[in-house]
Amino acid sequence: MFSLLKGLVGAKALSEETMRPVLDKLRDHLIGKNVAADIANKLCDSVAIKLEGKVLGTFDSVAKTVKATLTESLVRILSPKRRVDILRDCLHAKQEGRPYVMAFCGVNGVGKSTNLAKICFWLIENDLSVLIAACDTFRAGAVEQLRTHTRHLNALHPPARHHARHMVTLYEKGYGKDAAGIAMEAIRYASDTKTDVVLIDTAGRMQDNEPLMRALAKLIAVNEPDTVLFVGEALVGNEAVDQLVKFNQALADYSSSSSPHVIDGIVLTKFDTIDDKVGAAISMTYITGQPIVFVGTGQTYTDLKALNANAVVHALMK
Amino acid sequence: MVLADLGRKITTALQSLSRATIINEEVLNSMLKQICAALLEADVNIRLVKNLRENVRAVIDFDEMAGGLNKRRMIQSAVFKELVKLVDPGVKPYQPVKGKPNVIMYVGLQGSGKTTTCTKLAYHYLRKNWKSCLVCADTFRAGAYDQVKQNCTKARIPFYGSYTEVDPVVIATTGVDMFKKQGLEMIIVDTSGRHKQEESLFEEMLAVATAIKPDNIIFVMDATIGQACEAQARAFKDKVDIGSVIITKLDGHAKGGGALSAVAATQSPIIFIGTGEHIDDLEPFKTKPFIKKLLGMGDIEGLLDK
Ligand SMILES: Nc1nc2c(ncn2[C@@H]2O[C@H](COP(=O)(O)OP(=O)(O)OP(=O)(O)O)[C@@H](O)[C@H]2O)c(=O)[nH]1
Ligand SMILES: Nc1nc2c(ncn2[C@@H]2O[C@H](COP(=O)(O)OP(=O)(O)OP(=O)(O)O)[C@@H](O)[C@H]2O)c(=O)[nH]1
Ligand SMILES: [Mg+2]
Ligand SMILES: [Mg+2]
Repeated sequence: MFSLLKGLVGAKALSEETMRPVLDKLRDHLIGKNVAADIANKLCDSVAIKLEGKVLGTFDSVAKTVKATLTESLVRILSPKRRVDILRDCLHAKQEGRPYVMAFCGVNGVGKSTNLAKICFWLIENDLSVLIAACDTFRAGAVEQLRTHTRHLNALHPPARHHARHMVTLYEKGYGKDAAGIAMEAIRYASDTKTDVVLIDTAGRMQDNEPLMRALAKLIAVNEPDTVLFVGEALVGNEAVDQLVKFNQALADYSSSSSPHVIDGIVLTKFDTIDDKVGAAISMTYITGQPIVFVGTGQTYTDLKALNANAVVHALMK
Repeated sequence: MVLADLGRKITTALQSLSRATIINEEVLNSMLKQICAALLEADVNIRLVKNLRENVRAVIDFDEMAGGLNKRRMIQSAVFKELVKLVDPGVKPYQPVKGKPNVIMYVGLQGSGKTTTCTKLAYHYLRKNWKSCLVCADTFRAGAYDQVKQNCTKARIPFYGSYTEVDPVVIATTGVDMFKKQGLEMIIVDTSGRHKQEESLFEEMLAVATAIKPDNIIFVMDATIGQACEAQARAFKDKVDIGSVIITKLDGHAKGGGALSAVAATQSPIIFIGTGEHIDDLEPFKTKPFIKKLLGMGDIEGLLDK
């Protein structure tokens, strides 16, 4: 008698079957927003598992419940598991009397050098001096690109405003040289000159290019930077997964260390070019479990933001 | 190769038709599901994928049709036609003419590989004994002119640019006029990276195009791009008269399906693909032979002619 009444007011237990049509729609929606297909599938499957057997309240629809659960897991994926506070870490290193070292890596043309320059601007705005290590010794114009940025940044923050200190210096040895060696010299130079932070620019490389990936692993292993940032563009599709998996793997496999240094964080660039197709943010954090430390939102020095997880999820679910 | 993986998956899906004893709705749906999943994993635009699914479905009416063989062929042929539509806009690319100046302008998103591709193309023509050269009309990107200068010096390609002039229209016009007077045949104009969200950058592109009246405008697209390609490509096409597409960075792992939406959005064929960072990492691209190779099926010609 009571079970019959319950049935009348619409209580129902969720099953894979009742959720499937809703999940399929949401998966396509996520893919349309540029979440990698494989990850969209996994996300939807995990929502199904979580909700299986759950009894819905009177006013809950299947669609609403599934959507709410997916939203929750998206927010969780984008919320950093550890606190990233680069300024604090820089000051800490300074107290220890050594420079704080950040290395930037990623595939070709994603915005490594430009966002390195933006981060440099942010650091000098916070009164930290920076040495830029020009370790892309391959791509034509790579060194001049950094020299131009150095000149602009020093013009924006002239020594007159910083107790006669040059806030940005470029350390370069031209083209064709070993990147790991230049990085090492640069760090030593920064130590000697009491420069607060070293930003290491590296050449773009495809994740399948073994010699180049080995060279990167060597650079990281030899120089032990405090932070390794992977730079990825928000435009990237399914390839985001392969890039991150293989960069991490290369740093782990090609390093002779027993506890190799892999990717610590992500710089998500060109966020201003994708409208609401923000899915790459999910793909990248899902794969690495690492936080998006900076978001690049344009081509000028101030176009650097912190990720707003709720806003990204809102754009995704819209 | 572009979409090689996809080609294999599609072939496998199509074979499921041959294995099935009867072709019914269920068999068709399962095959379409496989094909669409493969397309989405290769970054093909989701709207194009949905269209493909609907168009193939629309061809087959199970109630009215009889005979397994016929259905099989009709489905296969419909799938082929839809795939061809993805890669083949059905127009011929601009053919440069030797002995007269051909002005070709390169445009695209930031970092897509324009400058590198410009040098590759200039070198490609140089080696075929064309008088080719490069004009650097990127006044925005730090080190852009140095990049062109170093590339061209190494490959002995004549180039023009400026460290002081800030107006790309002025540089482009001056460079193109100068090289025309000198009797160069392939005049390649490199421009800054830009995106549709920044109107002033699009206006600048239009201003350059209006000033130099290029014979062809080439849209350079990176093979790793995902779902954002379509809107960007369409916006470029709406602003200037794009006539060809080049897809870069195909030496990586990228499947290149995202970049293909540039073909549909610009209604322009792919003419070259970039397969590395070096100056000779460039391959000509021909649509029809590519499709044949992609789908690797002997009877494709017959299916397509219908
Ligand atoms: N719209 C936009 N463009 C950006 C952003 N970040 C970088 N870019 C542009 O992307 C292009 C490539 O940037 P680079 O910094 O040279 O990229 P890279 O990764 O260092 O390139 P390689 O060293 O050649 O691998 C430049 O035109 C930048 O101005 C961003 O957040 N938004
Ligand atoms: N692996 C690989 N890298 C490429 C290819 N084409 C270009 N690149 C690299 O991609 C990066 C960006 O190339 P650029 O030619 O500077 O790109 P761009 O479009 O001119 O960039 P902006 O002028 O800043 O918009 C560089 O590191 C190039 O070496 C390719 O086919 N394969
Ligand atoms: Mg760079
Ligand atoms: Mg360029």
